Parts: sequence; C-alpha cells; structure tokens
Amino acid sequence: MNERNESIHGVACTFRKPADVYHAAEKVRDAGWKYWDVHSAYPIHGLDKAMGLPRSKIPRLTLLGGVTGFIAGCLLTWYMNSFDYPLIVGGKPLWSPIFPFPIMYECTILFAAFGTFFGQFILNRLPQHHHPLFDLPQFARTSDDSFMIVLEARDSQFHLDDSRNFLLSLGGQEITVIRD
Amino acid sequence: MSASSSRLSSHWTTFVAVGFVALVAVWSFAFLGLGEHNHRPALSVLVGSLFWVSTLMGMLMLIMITRVFDAGWAPIIRRSWEFMISALPIVLLLGVAPLAFIPEFRHILWEWTDASHILPSGHEVGHDPILRAKSWFLNENFFLIRIAAYVVFFGVITWALRHWSFKQDKERTAQHTHTLHAVSAVGIPASAVMLTLLAFDCLMALSYHWFSTMYGVWFFSLSIRLALAATVIFTYRLSNGGWLDGLLNQAHRHVLGCLMLAFTVFWAYISFSQYFIIYNANIPEETFWYNMREFNPVTGLKSDWWGVSMYLIFGFFFLPFLLLLFYRAKIIASRLLTIAFIIFAGGIVDLWFNAVPRQIVDKTAPEGFTVSPFISGYLALDLLAIAGFGCLVIGLFLRASTQAETIPVHDPRILESINYHE
Repeated sequence: MNERNESIHGVACTFRKPADVYHAAEKVRDAGWKYWDVHSAYPIHGLDKAMGLPRSKIPRLTLLGGVTGFIAGCLLTWYMNSFDYPLIVGGKPLWSPIFPFPIMYECTILFAAFGTFFGQFILNRLPQHHHPLFDLPQFARTSDDSFMIVLEARDSQFHLDDSRNFLLSLGGQEITVIRD
Repeated sequence: MSASSSRLSSHWTTFVAVGFVALVAVWSFAFLGLGEHNHRPALSVLVGSLFWVSTLMGMLMLIMITRVFDAGWAPIIRRSWEFMISALPIVLLLGVAPLAFIPEFRHILWEWTDASHILPSGHEVGHDPILRAKSWFLNENFFLIRIAAYVVFFGVITWALRHWSFKQDKERTAQHTHTLHAVSAVGIPASAVMLTLLAFDCLMALSYHWFSTMYGVWFFSLSIRLALAATVIFTYRLSNGGWLDGLLNQAHRHVLGCLMLAFTVFWAYISFSQYFIIYNANIPEETFWYNMREFNPVTGLKSDWWGVSMYLIFGFFFLPFLLLLFYRAKIIASRLLTIAFIIFAGGIVDLWFNAVPRQIVDKTAPEGFTVSPFISGYLALDLLAIAGFGCLVIGLFLRASTQAETIPVHDPRILESINYHE
C-alpha cells in the first residue's frame, strides 16, 4: 500500500475547531500542495488566503459572455432590420447604434449572465452525481460541527504514509483513507 | 487629533485666501463681461460653483444614504464628508446666489428673466407663448424665492448632520445616531426634490424652451460620481500623512470602487435614456437641444460639441467603466486614484456640455442664430473658477476638521468601520 495506488482517492483528516483547520491549511499551502481541499459547514473568513487560492476566473467568463452578447445584439438588429427585411421605423435609419441600443445592452446582460451561470458549472465540474468523499461517514459531519482537509492522490507530492503523518503533524483528529 | 492632521488643518487659511483671490479674479471678468453684454464670463462663475455644489451634494446624499442603511464601512469616511459639506451653503452664496440676485447677471444668463430679450425668431421673450405657459414656475419672483430656499435648505441640513454627529464625540451616546437616522430619512427625499429643482433652475432653465423630466436624476447621478471621485482623491491624501493614515484599508477602497462602477453605469443609463427618448419621439421642442450640441447651424456640419459628446460616451463612461470592472483597479490605491481623476475631469466636461452651448442671435445666419463654440479662451476662466471654488472648499473642509474629532470616535459602528473587510 506504500506505492501510489489507483484505487485511492486521497486521505482525509478531521479538525474540531475553525482556527485549527485554518492554520493547518496554511501549512498545506506552504508545503506546495496543488490538489487538496478544505471542507467546512460555513465560510471561514480569510480561508481563501490561508489556502492560497487565486481569485475566481468567473469574472473573465462574465466579460466574455457580455462582449459576445453585445456583438450578438448588434448582428441581430442589423440582420433583421437592415439586411434580411429592410424596414424604416419612425423615420430612423435602417441600422444605427442608437435605436437598437436597448436590445444590444439587454443581450449583453443576458449573455454575461449565461457566462457566469454556465461558467461556474464548468469550473465547479458540475453536474457531478457522485464523489468518493460521499462514502465517508466523517464527511457528513463537515456540514455540521466538523472540519476536514483532504489531500488528493493525484497530487505529485502524495505518498500515503508521508501524507498521513503530515496531516497528523498538523493537529488533525482522525485520519481516513478515501477509496475511489 | 494627531500631529500630522493638525499640521494639515493649519493650512486652511491659505486655501481660503487663495480661493478668494481666484474668485475675485473670476467675478471681475464676469463684471467686465456685463459691460460688453457678454454672458460667458458669468457662466464661468456658474459652472465653477455648480461643479462644487454638485460634488458636495453628492457627499450630502452619501452621508444620509449611509446613515439610513447603517453602512458599517462608512463612519471613518463619513466624518470627512461632514467636514466637506460645511462648504455647500458658502459655495451657493458666493456663486449661484449673486448670479441670480444681481439683475444684470440674472438677465444675461437666464434670458427668460429679461422680457425685452430678442429671440432668434425676432420676437421678444415677453411675448413668447412657450414662456407664458411656463410662467407659473418660470417667473422672476418664484425663481428668486427658490434660489434663496436652496441656500437656506442646504444650510440647515448640512448644519443638522454635522451638529448631532459632532455632539456624539462629547456626549458618547448612541442616541444621536438614532436622531441622525431620522434626519437622514426625511432629508433624502427633501434633498432629492431640492437638487432636482436646483438642476432645473440653474442648468435646464438656461435654455428655457427645453425640458427633460430626467434632468434631476442626471444631476444626482453626476453628483454622486463626482462625490465618490473626490472621496477617493481626498482619502488618498488623508491616508498618506493625514488623519486617515493607517485607518483606510483595501476594503474601503473596494467599496468606493464598486460604488464608482455602479454610478458610472447609472450615469450612462440616465444620460442615454434622456437622449434615447428625445431621439425616438423626435419632437422639435426637445430635439433642438441635442441638435445644437451636434451641428453647426450655419454649415450644417458636425460642430466641436459633437466631439465633446463623443468624449462623454467614451471618456466619461466607457473608459472608467472598463477600468473599474477589474478587481485590482478597485483595490490598488494608485489605480483607483487615476480612475477618480478621469471621472473628476469628465464631470467638468459634462457640465460644459450641459451649460455652455446656447443660441446666439445672428441675423446673417440661415436659422437666425449661431451656437457658442466649445473651444474658447473662457474654458481657462471656467477652470480658474473651479480651482477657486475648489480651494475655498478645501479650506473650509480643513477648518471644519478642527471643530471635531477627525473620525467619529464614539459612533456605535466605529470599530466595524476601522476593521472593515471584504
């Protein structure tokens, strides 16, 4: 069992207090782990920094969606009113950036919302119907009164015994090996 | 009060003195202009004072809005706003009020107050049926009563907001927070009405044929934008060797940046909607106002005002909007400061766009009038007026800062404000 094993998802370790898990997360971050996570029933202030998480990439997808929507709105109004069926309404030009502006900016907002909504689905890898952690009885308690750090086997630093000892040295309570 | 902030405050007399010298110069040009029947130097006084009236009114609204919503981040910045708004009635008294109450200035700036003024159509103002229909509102007596009412109203409300807030420093009771809550709840709608009427009287009535029901909201959105930009600028200075040194943190800048983004969008929404409604309805009584801001009536070609309007779209909306979308632009002090200066400069251009273009009677022109140009030497006089009133405002701000604690030490939310986090 010492070698990296394909059937092992990782090791989990429970913590009793938010401060403990916070400081443990800082040490995992400093050890240079890439594939790992902290589970808590509520947001712990400053945990993002303690885990060394970068800012979310969602805003970029929102911007991308917005720009796409703006261009789509331009093309939509131009195609319909000026190209496919040229129609003069209220003495206005067939197409100008002014009269269809509400359509253009509504499309911007709609597509920006799409970018945000579907972007978070993709980045969160949803929908995901099962996860190895769900088999762990201790995991259910992280939505109540317990905290958990999971080190995943796909990280290059993962080595079952070393990782287990590392988590114990951080002040963890109960170590469990998670199987796929 | 710390040593550095008292050193800062001791300069207030210098600022007030410099401001007065600049204002004496601007007012002298305005009086010289009267002799040549030239309204433009007087307009510089109006633009200069309205720029600061707008900025200070924005701060007044922000004080009251953060009061009614119990904003936890606000107290340390709000005390500086309270110092700032002490200048609002003074700016009204030294700018708008004399222009309205001295008949020569009133007649030359607000043409409808001069019944014998000749319109481009060749008729006298006194015989204009459009003015007659509006005369229940646009008559000289009511106009002067309203101008006086602005001075009194804004004098009272700015005094009240400071009075109970400063009193809390000494009496250490939460009771004054409740009092100010009530003052703000009443003050917000009252100030909204007063600033709408002020925008109608001081700016919209410069071209009395034209009307827009959105004008008050436009003025409000400009006010908040200018107030937030000014706040970013003065808090930057105060957190580098002033009384906010070590107190202002990244989260405060983030809040100010988010509000700047929100009101940049709001300003664009209001300004565009006003244009859009008039463009779509296509009624001559309304469109002429935008036409004279786009075309030269003599040549029919685009005038320099068209360039100004493009600047407003791309320089005053799109550029700050795009920059403020980025998180780091909102938290890095130097970047936020740069954006604040862009907005501050754009606010001046927006006032120019609204106040300066006017029809000048010219019998040789095909439509009987020309439009005052954008590019002229008077822009320098406008900037001098803005700088003059600005020095006065800074001086009065520093003077007020000696009258109370520089942060509200006994505000119930002071710790929440100091420790504010994202």
